[in-house]
Amino acid sequence: MTAGTQQLIGSHRPRREDEPLLTGNATFVADIKLPRMVEATFIRSPVAHARLIGIDVAAALDSPDVLFAGSGADLTGVNAYPAHLSFIKAVNQYPLARDRVRYVGSPVAVVVAPDRYRAEDAVPGVIVDYDELPAITTIAEAIAPEAPLLYDDWPDNKILDFPASDPEVDHWMSTLPLVKETFSSHRQSANPIETRGAVAEYRNGRLTVWSTTQMPHIARTTIAVVLGLPESKVRVIASNLGGGFGSKNYQYSEEMVVAWLAMRLRRPVRWIEDRAEHLISTIHAREQEMTMEAAYEPDGTIKAVRCDLYTNQGSGELYIPGVTSSLVSAGSLTGAYRISHSAVSVSCVVTNKTPSGAYRGFGQPEAVFAMERTIELVARASGVDSADIRKNMLLRPEEHPYTMPSGGIIDSGSHIEAFEMTQRLAAGKLAAARDRHAGDATKRIGVGYAVYVEGTTPTYFGTTGFWTSYDSVAVSVEIDGTVSVRVPMPAIGQGVESLTSTVIADTLGVDEDKIDISLGDTDLAPYGLGSWGARGAVVTTGALVKASNEIIEKAKLIAAGLLEASPVDIELSEGKYRVKGSPDSAVSLAEVAVAARANTFLLPEGVDAGLESTAAYDPPDLDHFPDSRGKMSAAATWSNASHAAIVVVDLPTGIVKVVDYVVVHDCGTVINPTIVEGQIEGGVAQGIGGALYEHVVYDQSGQPQSANFSDYLLPSAVEIPPITTDHIETPAPDMPLGVKGTGESGTIGGCGSIANAVADALSEFGWNVTATPITPGDVRGAIDSAGGPAPWDHAEHGGPR
Amino acid sequence: MKPALFDYARPGTLTEALAALETYGDEAKILAGGQSLVPAMNFRLAYPAVLVDISQIDELHAISAGDRWLTIGATVTQRELERSLDLQSNPVLAAALPWIGHLQTRNRGTVAGSLAHADPAAELPAAAVASGAEIDVASPTGTRVVPAGDFFQGPFTTELRAGEIVVAVRFPSIPTTRGVCDEVVRRHGDFAIAGVAMQAVESAGTISDVSLASFGIGGAPTKLSATEAALEGQELRPELAAIAGRTAAEEVEEPWSDIHATGDYRRQAVGALVSRMVAGL
Repeated sequence: MTAGTQQLIGSHRPRREDEPLLTGNATFVADIKLPRMVEATFIRSPVAHARLIGIDVAAALDSPDVLFAGSGADLTGVNAYPAHLSFIKAVNQYPLARDRVRYVGSPVAVVVAPDRYRAEDAVPGVIVDYDELPAITTIAEAIAPEAPLLYDDWPDNKILDFPASDPEVDHWMSTLPLVKETFSSHRQSANPIETRGAVAEYRNGRLTVWSTTQMPHIARTTIAVVLGLPESKVRVIASNLGGGFGSKNYQYSEEMVVAWLAMRLRRPVRWIEDRAEHLISTIHAREQEMTMEAAYEPDGTIKAVRCDLYTNQGSGELYIPGVTSSLVSAGSLTGAYRISHSAVSVSCVVTNKTPSGAYRGFGQPEAVFAMERTIELVARASGVDSADIRKNMLLRPEEHPYTMPSGGIIDSGSHIEAFEMTQRLAAGKLAAARDRHAGDATKRIGVGYAVYVEGTTPTYFGTTGFWTSYDSVAVSVEIDGTVSVRVPMPAIGQGVESLTSTVIADTLGVDEDKIDISLGDTDLAPYGLGSWGARGAVVTTGALVKASNEIIEKAKLIAAGLLEASPVDIELSEGKYRVKGSPDSAVSLAEVAVAARANTFLLPEGVDAGLESTAAYDPPDLDHFPDSRGKMSAAATWSNASHAAIVVVDLPTGIVKVVDYVVVHDCGTVINPTIVEGQIEGGVAQGIGGALYEHVVYDQSGQPQSANFSDYLLPSAVEIPPITTDHIETPAPDMPLGVKGTGESGTIGGCGSIANAVADALSEFGWNVTATPITPGDVRGAIDSAGGPAPWDHAEHGGPR
Repeated sequence: MKPALFDYARPGTLTEALAALETYGDEAKILAGGQSLVPAMNFRLAYPAVLVDISQIDELHAISAGDRWLTIGATVTQRELERSLDLQSNPVLAAALPWIGHLQTRNRGTVAGSLAHADPAAELPAAAVASGAEIDVASPTGTRVVPAGDFFQGPFTTELRAGEIVVAVRFPSIPTTRGVCDEVVRRHGDFAIAGVAMQAVESAGTISDVSLASFGIGGAPTKLSATEAALEGQELRPELAAIAGRTAAEEVEEPWSDIHATGDYRRQAVGALVSRMVAGL
C-alpha cells in the first residue's frame, strides 16, 4: 500500500466510535429534537387481505390535539414508487395503501399530534372500512392452481419467476444416484436494537430528513421521486444507526409520509417506530423452501445440483423489491465446492404477510443450510465420511479464480485450510462437552459443520434497474494539516468510522486524532450506495486510497516547490514530504496545506489552490445485468469461512443448546481484527437465534402470532456460547489493499452447522433435519417417531442435569 | 405503544388505598411492581383511568418468618425475598424464585403482584398451590383468608373481588421439606412452556406429604393428584422416577397448544420434569 507510514492496518485496536456510543453521546434519529416538532402515528391494517372501502378521519380531526389526520387519498402530489426491472412484476405501491391492504401492519392512515401519546389517543377516531378477502399465507397456497390473486393484473402470484434448465444437469441426474430433499428456512425478523424512524423538516424550499436508512443517498433519490422534488432540494442524514442488518435497506412508506407531512404542515414531524410496529411493519426475511437434488459419484463427490427455490415474499409492497436475497441464495448455492453443473429455478411468491427482504447473510444462510445438509445426506447414502466429501470438493487455492455454475467468480480463498483448522479446534471442544456430560444418559452431544463462501461487495439494482457497486468519499486537508473525511455510508455498527480513520492514517501518515470523519450526510458526502452487502471495507477503502493518492500526488508537487526540489525526488514517509536522500529537507502536511489554501503564491506554476479529493471506487469485472439464463457475476470478491457448532441435546425435553462454536474465517487483508471478530461473534449470535429460537409466526388467516418479544424469541447472552474465532488472510487479488468483506459472514453458517450438529447428536434416531427453527417439539417428535425412549424413561439412568 | 391518559394516586396507608379503590371502583387498578400491568397499558390492552400505587405503603413491605408461616407483604419484591434469609423456611418457594423472569424484572416485580396477576405460566402461583400458601385479602369491610388452591380460577382470573387488595401472602414454614421447581423454557427467563413445583418430606428413604402443581400447560396451576398418590409413602427407588413421570403425563388434562409448543409436547414435558425431580430427591 501507499507508504504514508503509521501502519495501523492489521492490529487489534479499539473502535474510535465506541466512546460516544458507550457514553450515550452519539446522536440517533430519536435524539433529534427540533423547535415546533410534532409527532405522527400510523394506523395499520388489522386484517391480512381486504379491499379498502373507505377511511373516515373526521372523528380524529375533531380532537383539538390533532394537527393532521389522513389516508392515502389525502397525500396529494405523491407518486407511486418506481418500478424498473422487467423481470420483477410491478406492485404500484404508494406510501399509504389506496385501495387494498395485503398484510397486517400495512399503513393505511396517519395522525399527527403534538406528541405520540396524543396521536395514539386519536387513533380510535380513524374509522376504516375493510372488505375482507381470503388470505394467502403459504407458498403452497400462493401457487395453487385456483389461488386468489393478490394483484388483479397479474396472471399468478409470482413476483419473480426464473425457470432453470441445463442439459448437463439432466445428464448427470439420469446417470448417477441422487439424493433429494426439501429444506425449509423460516421467517425471521432482524430486529436491530434501534427500530426505524424519521424526522423531517422543510425550510426555505429544502427538505431535510433524518432517517434510519442504511442507504442515505438512495433514500434521497427515492424521496425526490416519490414526493416529486428536485433531488438537489433534499438532504438525508443517517449518521448513526443502532443496527440495520438489511432491514433498513428499503425506502419505507413512513419515511415518505413524514417528509410529506413536514412540507404540508410546515413543521418538523417525527415518527419513531415502536417495537410492536417493528415486528409487523419492518421487513421479514428467510422464508424459503429449497428442493435439492444432488447427483453424486461413488466417492460422494457431487457432480450436479438441481434446486427449485421458492420464497414467500410477503405482500411484495417494498421498494426496492425484496427478491434479491433469493437470487443470492441461488447464485451462491454451490459455494466453494467444485460442482460444475447446477440449475436453480427461483420463484418468489406474494402472500398476505409482511414484505420480506434482506437480513444479514442475504439468502446465503438458507443456501448453506440446504447445501450442507445435502452433503450429509450424500454422505449417508454413499457411506463416505462427510468431511472427506467436503475436502474432495472444496476448491484448492490454485483453482482460483473459479467461475461458479451461477456465474459468480470466486477470486481467491482458503477453503480446505479453513475447514481443517475448524475441525482441529472443534475436536477439543467436542471432547470437553462429552467430558462435561459423561455418564448422563439423558444427553446427546453432536458436532456439525458448514463451509461456505460469502459474496461480498455485491451489486445493487436501485434507481435505474441496472446493477452497480461503487462508492465515494471526499477527503480534504485543512490549513492546520488536519484531515476532514466525508463518507456517505452511515455507521450501523460495522466500524466504518474506524476503518476510515485507520486507512487515512496509514495512507496520509497522519495521526488519527487529526482526522475528522462525518458519515451518512448527503449534503456533505458524495453519492454512495450505502452500508449493506459487506461492502464497506472494499468500496470505502478503495475510495479512500484513491482520494489519498490524489492528495499525495498534489502534495508532492507543492512540497517540491517549497523544498526547491524536483517532484520525482519527493517521497512521503512518517507523514512528511521529504527530499530523497536528504531526510532533513522536509515539509509537513500542514505546511503543504498552508501553501495550498492560504499562501497560494508559494504554489508551483500550474498547481491550483486547494488540497482535497473526491474519489469514487467501482469494483472491476461485475455484471450489470443477468444474462438470458439469469447468470451473472454479482459480487466483487468472496470471503470464505468454516463453522463448527457443538450442541447438547436433552432427550427428555428435546431442548437443544449450542455449547461451543468455532469459526475460522478468511476475509483477505484484515484492517482491524477486533472489528472482524466482533462482526463474526454478533453474526454467529444471529445464526444461533435463527437456527433455534427466532420465528415469525402467522396463523392461517394471516394474523401475526409473534408480534412481541415474549413470543419472538431473540437469543440473549445466556443462549450464546463461547465463540472461538481464527483468521486466515488470503488477500483479494483485485481489491484495494487485498480486503474482502465480513459483515454478514458470521450469520451464514448458523443454520447449516447447527442442523448438522443436531442430526449428528441424534444420529441413533436417524433424524434428517430439514427445517428450521429446530424446536424442542421437533426433537421430541423425531425421538418418538424413531421409537426412542419416552421423556420419563431417562431419569432412572440418573446423572446431573 | 404509549399508554392512554390515566390519573395516579399514591396512598401512604392501606386504609387510604382501600378508600381510593372504593372511590374509583372499576376504573382503578392497583400498581405494585408494574412488570405486567405497565406493558399491558403500553399496548393499550389495559387502560385504567386511575392507578393506585401501593408501593410506598410501609405496612405492606415486611417479610416475617414465624413458627407456622413465612409472611410476605404485598409490596415485597421478588428480589428482596430472594435475598432474604427467611426464605429458607419454604424450600419450594426458594426453588421457584430464580426462575421468574430476569434479575432486573425481579427487582421490580412483587411476589403478591405475581399471584394477583395470575399468569398461567408464572412460577409463584404454582409454588403457592404446591405449598398450601394462603393469601390475606383486605377490603373496606374487613379481611379474609383465601387458600392458594382456591385463589386461582383461570388465566389472569382470581378469587379477588372488587375493592379488595392482597395485603400479604403466607407460605407454610416447613424448612425441612424438600422443595423443587423446574420448567421447560426455550430461553432463560421466559414464561414456562411447562413447569412443575413439588414439595415432599423425605425420611429414611421414604417420601410423604408429597405435593405437586403443574403450570404453563393450562389456565391455572393444577395439582397433580394421581402423581402425588403414586408417590405418597413410597420408598425412593430407581424405577419410581419413571412411574411418577408417566403418571404425571397421563393425568394432565387437555394441555394447551400455542406457537411455542403443542399440547402433546407439554404433556411429555410435564412427565420429563416430574421424572427428573423424583430422580433428584
